[in-house]
Amino acid sequence: MLSDVKVVLASCRLQMKQSFSRSMFKFCILAYPILAAITFYLIYAGQNDQTLISYVFLGTAITSMWSSISFSSAGDIDRERFMGALEVIFCSPTRFRMIMFGKVIGNTLLGIASMFISFLMVTLLFQVPFTLTHPLLFIVSMFVGIISFIFIAMLLSGLLAISRNTRVLMNCIDYPVFILCGTVFPIEVLPEWVRPLSYLLSPTYVLELARMSINGITDIRLFYYHMLGLGIVTILYLLAYLKFYEIIDVKARKEATLEVI
Amino acid sequence: MGVIVVKNLRREYETSLGVVKRDKKIVHAVNDISFEVEKGEIFGLLGPNGAGKTSTIKILTTLLAPTSGEATVLGHKCFGEEKELRKKINFIFGSERSLYWRLSAYDNLSYFCDLYHVPEKMKKDRIEKLLEMVGLEDRAHYRVETFSKGMKQRLQIARGLVNDPEVLFLDEPTIGLDPMGAKTLRKIIKQLAEQGRTILLTTHYMLEADELCDRIAIINKGKLFALNTSEKLKDNMDSSMIEVDLHTLREDTVSRLKGIENITDVKVVTDDLGHRLKIECRNPRQIMSLVNEQLYDNKVKSINMREATLEDVYLKIIGGEQSA
Repeated sequence: MLSDVKVVLASCRLQMKQSFSRSMFKFCILAYPILAAITFYLIYAGQNDQTLISYVFLGTAITSMWSSISFSSAGDIDRERFMGALEVIFCSPTRFRMIMFGKVIGNTLLGIASMFISFLMVTLLFQVPFTLTHPLLFIVSMFVGIISFIFIAMLLSGLLAISRNTRVLMNCIDYPVFILCGTVFPIEVLPEWVRPLSYLLSPTYVLELARMSINGITDIRLFYYHMLGLGIVTILYLLAYLKFYEIIDVKARKEATLEVI
Repeated sequence: MGVIVVKNLRREYETSLGVVKRDKKIVHAVNDISFEVEKGEIFGLLGPNGAGKTSTIKILTTLLAPTSGEATVLGHKCFGEEKELRKKINFIFGSERSLYWRLSAYDNLSYFCDLYHVPEKMKKDRIEKLLEMVGLEDRAHYRVETFSKGMKQRLQIARGLVNDPEVLFLDEPTIGLDPMGAKTLRKIIKQLAEQGRTILLTTHYMLEADELCDRIAIINKGKLFALNTSEKLKDNMDSSMIEVDLHTLREDTVSRLKGIENITDVKVVTDDLGHRLKIECRNPRQIMSLVNEQLYDNKVKSINMREATLEDVYLKIIGGEQSA
């Protein structure tokens, strides 16, 4: 148990050092939130503060954090594979999922930093005051949301360990979230048949909960429903990731997907 | 029972051809191979590209599942009992990969120590000793991306030893190194064997295999063609040569030489300076006195002996077969 904690911490540290030495990651963490904030602000310029907070603040924050956690965690598998490190870490005595967990935690911490940069950017550059009606519920919503993102990232990293089409998958997972989860526009504008897909993705719930915490809750039951929804999809991600990592060990070795061909 | 036991091992890969209509094809990377490696032995696996060397090593290091057959290391099955096995083995693949280039040499080793659960109090000491062993103590805190190829490969050796493995697998460890770098690595490999570690290595360099390996297996297209010590492999070869330069050559000398056991052919080259006999044989040292006896009434200028090399053995066994 102690050695697992040590591995998680070591992998987290390694991930952050590695990520910060990559120009692309610095762009994702530092420049992307700034550019996204400018874009989102220009879309919503002239709207009231509530709309600006809901879409400029949260839209930027969630997209930045999602990109950092899920997109980067997915990309890391590809990088490790090309460096030849994937095989080396895979056949160490440490469980592969603990190593990946540490790496995802590293990306999460950087993603949270990215979220704060976007908050700071919107506040300072556009002079939009960040006010919260329910600060505690906002913190709880974001906390559960981050945990949910971690499990999605773990699930994706596992999927990418057994598939060499990593780059395609990476791009497949990035944009649908922007479209389906209500980051830039409310999901009500989407066709009804698309919406069930939105409710399979945790960013949808995180955004709904955060917006309610910011703008005020008119129906507390709706808040709880969204929290329950977030809890259920998070547990589903967790179960899927645990099951998935069980089969990775056999499948990756049977299909020889750990190496570059 | 050997430290490494391989019995009737097979590994197949499925590949697809075509874009629209994809035809599936089975490739037999390892095809019914059996061998054993004893404790403390340096065992060489030779073969052309695609012979199945790396697939065999990957199965033994728990990276690849065998299609059928048995592969055990230190009594543990490589597929199914990897949890116990992984603590006791390590591997080093040639080339500069398998390291985190953006981290320092020290950080790399520290991370791998953590993955192999090296106790914290032993970690610092072990890393320092390993860096000293591979001659990188002065570059411990430099990023790996600033290292030369040889330095990266030496760091790989250090990485492969973080868990003090009982069995070490080396896949073409000296590939692409300059002669000095390769010599240093060979010295390190010998030291590791002297410490009692069992080593299985693959290489394309025959002199290296000859110098390092206690026994050598030659494989091609997934099959094992020969397995013995380098000396015995060479003894069984008929490509050793005795060359004799003569002023005069008696008519019956060639037929008398051909009558000697272990001589497989005698060719005569004649020019203005005299005659040269090219005697193809096995075990030239053993038959030298018999050859001398048959040359008694010829005017001999000089005699040279060239024993079969491991490369001769390799080329003879692999033959003109196109590598896969």
